[in-house]
Amino acid sequence: MGLRDYVIRRLILLIPTFLLTTVIIFSLIHLAPGDPIDIIFRGPHGGLKPEVKEAMRVELGLDQPIYIQYFAWLSKLLQGNLGYSYINSMPVTNIIIMKIPLTLELMLTAEVISIVVAIVLGVIAAVKHHSIYDATCSVGALAGYSIPDFWLALMLMLVFSLWLKWFPSSGPQTVGVVFATPLDVLLDQFKHLILPAVALVVVWTAYLFRMVRSAMLEVLTQDYITTARSKGVKEWIVIYKHALRNALLPVITYVGYSVGFLLSGAVVIEEIFEWKGLGRLMVDSTAVRDYPMLLGLSIFIAIMVMIANLCADIAYAAIDPRIRYD
Amino acid sequence: MKHRFNSGKKEEKVHRPSRATRLFVVWRKLRKSKLAIMGFGTVLFMSMIALLSPIISPYKLDDYRDSNEPPSMDHVLGTDSLGRDMLSLVMNGARISIYVGVGAVLVEIVIGLGIGMAAGYFGGMIDEVLMRITDVIFSLPQIMMLLLAISMFQARGIDVILLIMGALGWPFLARVVRSEYLSLRETTYVEAARSMGASSWRIIIRHILPNILSVIIVLATMDIPWFILYEATLTYLGFGDPMSSSWGILLQNGYQHMESSPWIMAAPGIALLITSLGFNLFGDGLRDALDIKVRE
Repeated sequence: MGLRDYVIRRLILLIPTFLLTTVIIFSLIHLAPGDPIDIIFRGPHGGLKPEVKEAMRVELGLDQPIYIQYFAWLSKLLQGNLGYSYINSMPVTNIIIMKIPLTLELMLTAEVISIVVAIVLGVIAAVKHHSIYDATCSVGALAGYSIPDFWLALMLMLVFSLWLKWFPSSGPQTVGVVFATPLDVLLDQFKHLILPAVALVVVWTAYLFRMVRSAMLEVLTQDYITTARSKGVKEWIVIYKHALRNALLPVITYVGYSVGFLLSGAVVIEEIFEWKGLGRLMVDSTAVRDYPMLLGLSIFIAIMVMIANLCADIAYAAIDPRIRYD
Repeated sequence: MKHRFNSGKKEEKVHRPSRATRLFVVWRKLRKSKLAIMGFGTVLFMSMIALLSPIISPYKLDDYRDSNEPPSMDHVLGTDSLGRDMLSLVMNGARISIYVGVGAVLVEIVIGLGIGMAAGYFGGMIDEVLMRITDVIFSLPQIMMLLLAISMFQARGIDVILLIMGALGWPFLARVVRSEYLSLRETTYVEAARSMGASSWRIIIRHILPNILSVIIVLATMDIPWFILYEATLTYLGFGDPMSSSWGILLQNGYQHMESSPWIMAAPGIALLITSLGFNLFGDGLRDALDIKVRE
């Protein structure tokens, strides 16, 4: 079976995966006992008359049995309609599209930096296995892996923006200031980007570093590396051309997998730095129980995750000659 | 598993080390790694604090003194905005965090083990269906699912959070358990048990399960810090148990007084870091000592 057949097979398999995803996401939100209307409109402003609540239930289709609700939702979803937000009555799709650029800016920056740093450090650590350098990096990675990301973000904010006043503490740009040149605008945005990006980079680099290091360690013990060395290939070529290529395969899978984090944003980081992207949208919608918004956002993220995983698998299959297409 | 043929002679007595001996062997290997021992010590220390916090904490939690006091001889970690002693609060937080971490892992083990066993042992359609579900849940971002599931709960007690985290955290464990069962069900000793008429249930529980216990223990140890961090994150975001004083609540409180009294935020964060580092180091060490390669 060739690569083309493999791709087609994977595309067909996407259909049941998609249906399963919708079922899981839909049931997650209906996991809680009790009635959504009662839950959404509770508290001081929740004193709605029972008749009004009943009317809302009918309007939202909540009086129907659960499977009918699911199919109604699914058929709308297949037409590209994610519904309307309870809170600001805008189509969910529009809100998502509005928020994507900010999330992408932050996440792509963090992702690219962490991939590069992790690969460089990971390769050196694996090559100098059992050295002081290796030990330091590994312990550092473990610390980065264990650190609560939101606490790190808060500490960065405290030290670098409140005490040292080097970087601003919130938002993607300074509001209400007119900049002289476009360069100043860019500089301003860059300054805002640094702290949240650093908070993400620390955690992601730590995670990736461990992966690159262990993959590299495993590859370096293989016979073909010894063969290359015994042929007299220069050591750096052995490492960067022969070994790294295979060691990077798990990284590809990771990049596909990380799209989920990328789009749901590191939710807390966006919340802390008032970065109004998808992550913050998710937190805000959860707080006000805007559940069409939540449902729409989740299914959007899930679809992106599926596409990314598919791309990663195909890239993996295309690059790795050892892979069996099944 | 080595298979040994006895050619009709007097049956050789197979030396099987007792459970205590096996534990000792693991301990001896674990001891070789300084980091693992440090991790083990930290885990032990935090667990002791969690267990004994009502007895050893210097102040009661409802003992209100001067608020926002910096660290001093009376209050080693200072006091919070309500005038409670930070050290006592952090100790009490350890109790909640360890409880949540261990509780969620137990839930995860029950679900992940059940699904992994069924899929790996029976194979076929059961395997196919269960693994598709597992893969989908595995691929979705955890924090997104947690928020989705939690959003509709009215009462968010600590036990609800724990159950939800466990109920969403099992896919990796299930996949590992499945692959272990897949390979072990083909071994000779399982075939022998089957040919003697042992039921599937008996083989799954009595014959195979004991052989993968170490894998489960390692995975569980490594997952505890994740659950602790997730609980703190959810609580920090305001989706936790508002009545508990877990580290997430303390951090949220500290955030509001970050500039004037940074120690309120520092202490619970450092406690979180130490706890999760401890579990991670211990988990890594345990994995190496038990010589486990987590197969996928």
